[in-house]
Amino acid sequence: MSNKFLFELGTEEIPASMIDPALDQMRAAFEELLKRDEIEHDPIVMFSTPRRLAVIIDQLPERRPDREETVMGPPASVAFDESGSATAAARGFARKLGVEVGALEVMETDRGRYLALKRRLEGAPVREILAQALRDIIASISWPKTMYWTETRFRFIRPLRWFVCLWNDEVIPFRLEGVEAGRTSRGHRLIGPPQIEISDASSYVECLREACVLVDRQERFQRIAGGLEEESGGQMLVPDEGLLETVVHLNEYPTVLRGQFDPRFLEIPREVLVTVMRYHQKYFSLTEEDGRLAPSFLTVLNTSGDPDGRIRRGHEKVLHARLEDAAFFWNSDRKVALRDRLSDLDHVLFQESLGTYRDKTRRVKAVCGLLEDSTELRDAAELCKVDLTTDMVRELTELQGVMGGLYAREEGYPEGVWKAIYEHYRPVSLDDALPESRNGALLGIVPSGSSDPFALRRQAQGLVSILLARDFEFSFDSLIDFASRNYEDLVTGEVRSQVLSFLEQRLFFLLQRSGLPQDVLRSVFAVGIGSAPDVRSRAEAVASPSRDSTTLTTITTATAAAPMRM
Amino acid sequence: MQTFQEVIHELLGFWMKYGCVIQQPYDVEVGAGTMHPETFFRVLGPKPYSVAYVQPSRRPADGRYAENPNRLYRHTQLQVILKPPPADVQEVYLESLKVLGIPLEKNDLRFEEDNWESPTLGAWGIGWQVLLDGLEITQFTYFQQAGGVDLDPISAEITYGLERIAAFLTERNSVYDLRWSPQVTYGQVRRREEYEFSRYNFEVGDKAMLFQLFELYEAESLRSLEADCVLPAYDYCLKCSHTFNLLDSRGAISVTERVGLINRVRSLAVGIARRYVETDE
Repeated sequence: MSNKFLFELGTEEIPASMIDPALDQMRAAFEELLKRDEIEHDPIVMFSTPRRLAVIIDQLPERRPDREETVMGPPASVAFDESGSATAAARGFARKLGVEVGALEVMETDRGRYLALKRRLEGAPVREILAQALRDIIASISWPKTMYWTETRFRFIRPLRWFVCLWNDEVIPFRLEGVEAGRTSRGHRLIGPPQIEISDASSYVECLREACVLVDRQERFQRIAGGLEEESGGQMLVPDEGLLETVVHLNEYPTVLRGQFDPRFLEIPREVLVTVMRYHQKYFSLTEEDGRLAPSFLTVLNTSGDPDGRIRRGHEKVLHARLEDAAFFWNSDRKVALRDRLSDLDHVLFQESLGTYRDKTRRVKAVCGLLEDSTELRDAAELCKVDLTTDMVRELTELQGVMGGLYAREEGYPEGVWKAIYEHYRPVSLDDALPESRNGALLGIVPSGSSDPFALRRQAQGLVSILLARDFEFSFDSLIDFASRNYEDLVTGEVRSQVLSFLEQRLFFLLQRSGLPQDVLRSVFAVGIGSAPDVRSRAEAVASPSRDSTTLTTITTATAAAPMRM
Repeated sequence: MQTFQEVIHELLGFWMKYGCVIQQPYDVEVGAGTMHPETFFRVLGPKPYSVAYVQPSRRPADGRYAENPNRLYRHTQLQVILKPPPADVQEVYLESLKVLGIPLEKNDLRFEEDNWESPTLGAWGIGWQVLLDGLEITQFTYFQQAGGVDLDPISAEITYGLERIAAFLTERNSVYDLRWSPQVTYGQVRRREEYEFSRYNFEVGDKAMLFQLFELYEAESLRSLEADCVLPAYDYCLKCSHTFNLLDSRGAISVTERVGLINRVRSLAVGIARRYVETDE
């Protein structure tokens, strides 16, 4: 006898990035519940759209398995008198459990002999176990930011609006925050029926597909991926996994649409065009066969199609207005030379106790001077934050650094300057490319929290990645020392050691990610660290199987703070 | 729907039929419809209230001398407050778009996360921007806090950007080409205003005087509040906020001053909200 359980939680549009984590948590919570009660089941399947989170569990038994339970009573010495007949204590124990004294038995335990009752517990109906757990499972999902909407102050990502809760074809009663479970779900907002009855748990996916809602993320993904390929029409899609993940979770019924923009906008740098499309409109970009950007885009609609072209015209018009703005900024920003903008940095706050970006520029310049004596690096350091005063970066903050680099190139600065500025925020994520130029790498390792003062972990990761990739032999100590000289008394010994251990953790993480075993890393880190490449080579030496144990000792105890080679 | 004024008329008509009080724009300069007392005060406390009104909203730094087809120093919001919001509040909102003649089944509509926050008002909420064929036409927010006070019940705030909606409906590329009425364009009504205020906000405003005004307005706000004139105190708080925006667009505010001035406005708003709740019987 097998049963299928369906639970659909209906809400209002959940932010795209939060859906997968919520589904993972829900799945884990159901798995734990079923494991705790030893209930067998098929793998749990999760479904979602922006407006709903759902779970289907198949092959469930009617009841939890029966269980053998032993209830311990008083010690045998108390339960029976000298003649061997039951005492008041034994009778009381039996009465409490609702059985005759004769049903009790004496058990040997390691604490002695005890009176006990062995009984068989009939398993509760699984549907009840699930229904009772639902509230806690829903409440246990943790969200980055929640809201309240009822007087009970129950918190969730958005208001709860409906529940579908079915055991095969029967509704399982469940109620939470004024919402009653039933079999009524909701169709697509614009092209589906407002309400849709789910006859039984097995027909969930099918019923909703008829209501223009694709609840299987994989199905949406394939529909989008197929559409992107089909609509690219001979041009190449600029791959963007992150955007693809996002649009999968932004739509109930995705359809890919192709649009165009005026080719005259191609005179604006490609970086700007792609950013406008990517960050502001969630559009995919296309390139021609020779790699140049094409004056077209692909977008994913939340509907089934665009027969009369009005949606395409709407999207094209919005993009046109945005590109018009970008073109205006590109032309007007270049009327003021980067160097003439330096004093404007006095008006841009970096962080309250760390002053303005002008102050920051001075520090970056000073540290660069200590890393390498080069005019180009010094120029790059001086100008690297200036683009924060341009209208383009004020509007498209994602382009900070990149824009400064492009404007510097336009002004005729050599590659050693413009490219360093262009690249100095890299890597912006664990998987992002490192700076290609040496100056970009040097500028990038100057401890800096500009793009986001709190993305410290990313910053540290970027710093360590660059040190490793470039074999820069600066020791952590010396880098911290260079940086702290600019902060007067702000950098105390405590701050220094916090920064050091922070950097060490990132180094540990990155080396571990590259495949070095944890225990090897621990032994190498235990003796303290000098430069990042040095730590890596020692760890690799230890991990290498050809080494014998004597060498191992030598390597791990080699002096940690190796003299700096610069 | 062919004109700007029809859009306003239809939306107000829809919300009037829905049961909202139809209010008038506030006559003190504000940066957003949220700052209108009909939102700021009404969302506080337990009393249910539903209201809709048009609010011209001044953002001095957004001025573009009437040269940019999409950016305005003063744009027009239509603001709706539903306290408490009905369970089908999103559906009601979509109905309101239909009365504008937008065939939703032929459009691409999305609610994308966008949580609204106003540091000067000590207010924030959870919600979305509503995108119609890629164009942001509405900000939809479930208020959680205003004037630093937790709200109970909460309110839903629906803020329509009227110029954008009208431009969308009439397929115009520049806001100035919109028809305001069948005979008159948006540009004819507003171009000179945009140009002169852009000049004033960026070039002409007297910084020293504006600083003085800020001080005077702040003092008067505090004095009024002291005398339990809570609503008048709020008027002066709004004047502080607008004066701050003028100083900002004149580039008169240094880094350190900026944080300080925002906090001063915020602390007025918080004091006013608290006193309003205490004295609201």
